[in-house]
Amino acid sequence: MQSQHAPSTSTGQPTDTAASTGSNDGGPAAIRAEDVHVTYADGTEAVSGVDLAVEPGECFGFLGPNGAGKSTTIQTLVSLLHPTAGSVSVHGHDVVEDAQAVREYVGYMPQETSVDPELTARENVRFSARIHGVPAAEREERVDELLDVVDLADVADDLAETFSGGMAKRLDAANALVHQPPVVFLDEPTTGLDPQARMELWDYFEAINDAGTTVFLTTQYLEEVDRLCDRIALLQDGEVVATDTPAALKAAVGGDVLEMSLAGVDDAEHSGSTGKRGATDRTDDPGPARGTELRDHAASVVRSANAFDDPTVERTDEGLAITASDVRTGVMELFVAFHDAGLTVTGVDVRSPTPDDVFLSLTGEAIDEGETETTAPGRESRHGAEEVTR
Amino acid sequence: MKRWLVKTSRNPFVTFTSLVQPVIFFVLMAEVFGAVAGGALTNAVGADVSYVTYLTPAIVVQSALAAASISGIGLVIDMDSGMFEKTLASPMGRGAMFLGKVFSEVVRIVVQTAIILGCGAVLLYFETGDGPGTFLETGVAGFLGVLAITILFAGAFMSFSNIVALVTRDKEATILISNSLTFPLLFVSSAFLPLQVLPDWINTVATVNPITYGVDGVRAAVLGEDVMTVIDVTAFGGAWNAIVPAIAVLVVFNVVLGAIAVRLLHRASRAAVQ
Repeated sequence: MQSQHAPSTSTGQPTDTAASTGSNDGGPAAIRAEDVHVTYADGTEAVSGVDLAVEPGECFGFLGPNGAGKSTTIQTLVSLLHPTAGSVSVHGHDVVEDAQAVREYVGYMPQETSVDPELTARENVRFSARIHGVPAAEREERVDELLDVVDLADVADDLAETFSGGMAKRLDAANALVHQPPVVFLDEPTTGLDPQARMELWDYFEAINDAGTTVFLTTQYLEEVDRLCDRIALLQDGEVVATDTPAALKAAVGGDVLEMSLAGVDDAEHSGSTGKRGATDRTDDPGPARGTELRDHAASVVRSANAFDDPTVERTDEGLAITASDVRTGVMELFVAFHDAGLTVTGVDVRSPTPDDVFLSLTGEAIDEGETETTAPGRESRHGAEEVTR
Repeated sequence: MKRWLVKTSRNPFVTFTSLVQPVIFFVLMAEVFGAVAGGALTNAVGADVSYVTYLTPAIVVQSALAAASISGIGLVIDMDSGMFEKTLASPMGRGAMFLGKVFSEVVRIVVQTAIILGCGAVLLYFETGDGPGTFLETGVAGFLGVLAITILFAGAFMSFSNIVALVTRDKEATILISNSLTFPLLFVSSAFLPLQVLPDWINTVATVNPITYGVDGVRAAVLGEDVMTVIDVTAFGGAWNAIVPAIAVLVVFNVVLGAIAVRLLHRASRAAVQ
């Protein structure tokens, strides 16, 4: 029975990129996946060739858009799904051959909140303690302690059905951690939470990670894993397209994204396409020549204006998306250049990079089939481009 | 198991209703059908048996049926809430997971059955002034026999309900399919009236209806007589001529339906991709 935090093999040190090559001290990796494929009965290949090596004590982020295969991968790692091909082990125990041992090592917080609404918070955590074989003598103390940590001690005897989404998530986190597993899997743990609840949960995950627990989590948002994780794997269409530190990934993207709508582009698009093709307008449709022309003109203005350092320019449905490290400071200068060139900007949005942006910059391939113009190639990750087959 | 019992007690409205409903049904049936059933009853089991006594096993079986046929709903709710998956991801044994649920139903059915038997005794006392000795002529052994046969009977329908739950994975469908199949089955059995007075086709259906065997088994344990009418067994003597075949048939139903349920559960919980 595993009842202590992180076994003695844990180094607890922040893992550098050397760790990505596998265990370097001879001990088994906390999580190891080799060429994992998962194909559902209907033929959908949700995971197609994932390799992972996560060291004990590491916090590992799994980043990808909806449908990338994050949940399927995590279910494989916690022994709920068998890989169709390849192998997965947790602390050296194979998830197929030795599922029972794996289940004693892991705590799993599914994407969907899974608490029993007809039980109180205390009863929920107590049930989790029982099914994870926490000795009866320690159970009550452990339950009280955890309810306190997730800040539910005041409502411990209220039914879970009266809880808000954030409270239920925190209760679920307590459920996943009551047996103090050395490896914790969190599947989009903060989805649907308000910012306050999100922060509290992250603080808690950070604390257990600092205490030596291996944390494996999935998210759709780069900024979420940025703070907590030592390394991030980027998943797209069931494949890992990059594994690196958050800093390296962000550098690869090249900064924030400025999205602009240009007057005339959208109109030209619709007049060109609604007639014969209905609502499906695409940027590479040869019909709206005027829109393409406008975007080309705008793109050349971006290049000649020199407002940004190393900008990446993409064409979008409404206009352009510009990625650069200094987007926020150079935007006024660009507007002046646009004005001088006779272009009218009708909408502007500045945002942090999404997994799509990371994917785009790492592979040099656009999400749309529309051509991408890279005025200066961004630094690419070592793992990046060559692994992609789309 | 504890979680299910806590959940049951947590929902006093449902618990209360599931206990009171058969009692109401019992009283009404005894009063209404009892008024006309006399002749048929005298022909079938003799004049000394009151309709209350005759009906008690049917009500015991009916309420066990009601409890068992919603057994699958808990499973569907757990699948919806993620509790099923959560338990699967824990080191808890698969067998313990399902046995816990089954035991909690059994506890419920035992309590229900005891209440109904008590109720029957009271009702008989008001009708005829006979004491509990007349009501349950077989005494403590008969009481235990009633419980054993009822649990065995419920097992078959719990399996059935869980099969429906696993196939449909839907709460409403589980309730609807279970109820719409089990309720009519009550009428095409020996539950409410002796089969001799019922049409031929009902006699035919009753022969393959597990409810007939549940009711006849329980009835034999209550009356201490061979009341089985669908098949004629004489090898064991007295009430055993009804109890032994009843148990045998119910065991077969349990094994067949149970095997299907276990197979489906296994498929739902195994880690291979589906």
